[in-house]
Amino acid sequence: MNAIEAEKLTKEFQIYQSRKGLTGAFRDLFNRNYRTIRAVNEVNISIPQGEMVGYIGENGAGKSTTIKMLTGILQPTSGELKVNGFDPHNQREEFVKTIGVVFGQRSQLWWDIAVQESFTLLQKVYRVDNQKLLDRMIEVLNIGELLDQPVRKLSLGQRMRCELVASLIHQPSLLFLDEPTIGLDVLVKENIRQFLREMNKEFGTTILLTTHDLTDIEALCSRVIMLDKGNIIYDGGLTKLKQEWGEGKKIHLELDQEISLEHLGQLTEALPVTWSKNEANTKLFTASLQGNSVTASEVLSLLVTSGVPIHEMQIQEVSTEEIVRKIYQEG
Amino acid sequence: MVQFQIFWEYVKQYMKARLAYRLDLVVKFLTDLISQSFNLIFIIVVFGHTKQLGGWNQAEVVFIYGYFLLPWAIFGTFFNLWSFNDRYIIKGELDRVLTRPVHSLLQIIMESMTPESLIGVVTGLAVMGYGASQLNLDWAWYDSILMILFTLGGVLVYGGIFIALTSISLYTDSKTDIQPIVFNVSNYGRYPVNIYSRFVQFVLTWILPFAFVGFYPASFLLDRGDWRFYAYITPVVGLVYFSIAVLLWNRGIRHYRGAGN
Repeated sequence: MNAIEAEKLTKEFQIYQSRKGLTGAFRDLFNRNYRTIRAVNEVNISIPQGEMVGYIGENGAGKSTTIKMLTGILQPTSGELKVNGFDPHNQREEFVKTIGVVFGQRSQLWWDIAVQESFTLLQKVYRVDNQKLLDRMIEVLNIGELLDQPVRKLSLGQRMRCELVASLIHQPSLLFLDEPTIGLDVLVKENIRQFLREMNKEFGTTILLTTHDLTDIEALCSRVIMLDKGNIIYDGGLTKLKQEWGEGKKIHLELDQEISLEHLGQLTEALPVTWSKNEANTKLFTASLQGNSVTASEVLSLLVTSGVPIHEMQIQEVSTEEIVRKIYQEG
Repeated sequence: MVQFQIFWEYVKQYMKARLAYRLDLVVKFLTDLISQSFNLIFIIVVFGHTKQLGGWNQAEVVFIYGYFLLPWAIFGTFFNLWSFNDRYIIKGELDRVLTRPVHSLLQIIMESMTPESLIGVVTGLAVMGYGASQLNLDWAWYDSILMILFTLGGVLVYGGIFIALTSISLYTDSKTDIQPIVFNVSNYGRYPVNIYSRFVQFVLTWILPFAFVGFYPASFLLDRGDWRFYAYITPVVGLVYFSIAVLLWNRGIRHYRGAGN
């Protein structure tokens, strides 16, 4: 059984459009204009048990709406949806026992009571009592010292780690993470990623992660689903994504002496490379490699055999972020 | 049973959090007490000008007010839904509630209850006792049982109306000011309904049945037979209104559009 199975999943919203000016407002009183917006448009998603999937898209692409349908918060307008074998909205109370949810921008914990009390309360709400797992999560995420503090006094990073523990207290087989590392420092991010990898490996927890920070996805996910204006525009492996779109490597060179751009151009004439010069420092050059047909080493060996005195060099890979930006720009 | 355990857990947690703000708690007690005394003083002032109000004397009206405080206090304890729109819709806390395996309304009631308001029951009983001491009431053994049933019925009426009004937030994004208006109407229920016009009586009985919260049951306990039928159906009216409210709520949850990010 797949953890998530969605077919032609669609969500429409009615948006009330106000007319201009005072007369318009007056007319709105009697006759309102509604416009239907398709936030999610016939999306098909199928995620097997145990996979870690990154779900990305720009603001307003329909990410949150999808997640809210998958978690049972919103009822889909149309389409088939089975998550962990349940209809999320209509079997909500049974269904949510099998999932964990972390919304980065909203706390899942009770603001006024101590973290430990929140955990106890959640254990009661989910009717579970697996202190061993809880103790271990507390240790791995290093939140032992925070347990007696009220949630409102925690820093963002501290709170986030507590939220993670809270979301996994009932050992769900499927975990939804919406922007879990937003605004966190590198160490906390790494800690959280490590923890997620562990949970996935040990318990086979399926993880669906939405984020703006693509390093999260690189660190955790083997598969990405990309959403744009309510439609899936890419669904597949991260490496494949990089191969297909990851063209345009750059080599930054610092030479021992000044060389003209034309000379460099002539040397690499046979290769699809364009050169540019740093305006401030005349010894700095950048070679932009087009396409995937040429490797950095080919370029470098050409230069070295031609006697170009290279002092320092740096190869710049295209980041996932740039790839994603490119995909969105080119549609 | 499990629901009750969870409920009790919430009460404990609430009290822990609440006791951390001692001053707040004292202030709450005092304001409750002051507003109740003002209502009482109002009744006494009115009767400074007249001996009878629609055939009711001062002690009886005080008794009715005292009785009204019982369902009122219990309602205030569990149906503290005033900030629902701000807290759960605009701030989006309903999203969290909907990812937990307990009925959404029950969770919200548990999260926003204020057990300290129950002290109003004691005040109410005291006011009732004061009124009764000046009257010659024929208190049968089953009157106490009926009083409890009537009180619960009144709580359900009150709760039902306010849950129904609160569910409006689930259907529309815009803020409605209907709650305070209805809340004002609710005060009418603690005076004898026969002092109002026929229209108001009708509204207080069948549309916004606040007369079932205070007057009808209290008049029965005061041995006035004229409204006996209404007193008896109090629990039924409570159940009907509350059931309708829960249905509206459940439907509203289907309509819920979620807070934007």
